[in-house]
Amino acid sequence: MTFEEAQKELEQIVQRLESGETPLDEALKLWERGEELYRFCKERLDTAEGKIEELASRAEAAKP
Amino acid sequence: MKVEAIDYGDRKVYSVGAFNRGVASWLARLPTVWVEGEVTELRRSDRWASVFFTLKDPQDGSCLGVSMARGQFDALRLELADGARVHAYGRPELFEARGEFRLRALSLERFGLGEHLAALERLKTKLAAEGLFAAERKRPLPLLPARIGLVTGNDAAAKRDVLTAVTTRFPPANVLVAETYVQGPRAAGAVVEALRALCREGVDVVVVARGGGSFEDLLPFSDERLVRAIADCPVPVVSAVGHEQDTPLCDLAADVRASTPSVAGRLVVPDLAQLLERLGRSRAGLERGARRSLDRERRRLDGTHERLARAPRLLLERRRAVLEHSAGRLRALSPKATLERGYAIVRAGEQIVRSGRAVEPGERVDVELAEGGFGARVEETR
Repeated sequence: MTFEEAQKELEQIVQRLESGETPLDEALKLWERGEELYRFCKERLDTAEGKIEELASRAEAAKP
Repeated sequence: MKVEAIDYGDRKVYSVGAFNRGVASWLARLPTVWVEGEVTELRRSDRWASVFFTLKDPQDGSCLGVSMARGQFDALRLELADGARVHAYGRPELFEARGEFRLRALSLERFGLGEHLAALERLKTKLAAEGLFAAERKRPLPLLPARIGLVTGNDAAAKRDVLTAVTTRFPPANVLVAETYVQGPRAAGAVVEALRALCREGVDVVVVARGGGSFEDLLPFSDERLVRAIADCPVPVVSAVGHEQDTPLCDLAADVRASTPSVAGRLVVPDLAQLLERLGRSRAGLERGARRSLDRERRRLDGTHERLARAPRLLLERRRAVLEHSAGRLRALSPKATLERGYAIVRAGEQIVRSGRAVEPGERVDVELAEGGFGARVEETR
């Protein structure tokens, strides 16, 4: 799943939940799924390292 | 000009200076003409009054030295690179002190631009016909690339601009930079190679950035190999080459064209602050939404519970009402009421007497009235 897909699904879930029309069982399931998606997105942002590398030095390092 | 010779008997001999002066004055009578060639060995110094270069004939390699007044040369701002084709307008001249022949240029024009432009136009038409620039080929940029590839020149301000824009907007961005030639005959091949190397390393999007430059400087970015490599790149490419008005062909083949390297940088990453805010809003909405469903269900449950609690009392009251009703009817039907109206109940022993034949004269009976009663003896029967 890409970040975009996760974010899109999350926002759709929120919309459905906010309509207040979902039965409780389903609402709880949606909520659980939403939390999962939120964690996924957050993790993608948190684990990005913020690295700037030069290709040449990478190639150099890759050499035996 | 009259050139003096020295006579040695019947031999006329000229001094070097006289000879040079003679030739120079003769050359000076030749007309000014246009000469076409490629510039090489350009020598220019702020201390010199003239600029020197050699014009070379690309066909047969013939060379011609050229000099031009430095002020005039500088004013033209031609930024001539080695191999640039020019038309030089001037007249032949002999530098008398050294006996060197050259062309004294009065004006200089870059030549071949028209040729280049026409070739470029032909290539553009051909590639457009193949659909290389078609809008439906353009891919959307990933919202959150795991790694960004950057192709740029080695000192380039373009590189700094892209990196600054990327890291300002999205500090945790990962960027893999491929420095390469972005000018000269090796540039096109080098950029193609850099693109491929980045894709091999694994990037989600590539930015090709190069600052502005002369028409010739940017020509590699219209090279057919490079344009095709950009169109064929497995990940989306953002092109930020030259200035707004330049439009090298790579700009047309790229998925997105950015007007400057900074714009390209901002295009390839999301705004982290905005992203976090949006995510936070979603999460809050998630909780709010779930709570809303929960609250509604709880209210419904509470209502049901209340009704449940009320139910037994209600049932009891209803029963009581029914009972009262029955009791009323019961009372209405009791013999007591009948007795009140003046009737009497006659019993013989335990039996209620309903017929005269049920008793004998002289038999004792009990008479019950609405109030009290009395015993009696039967006189006669009928």
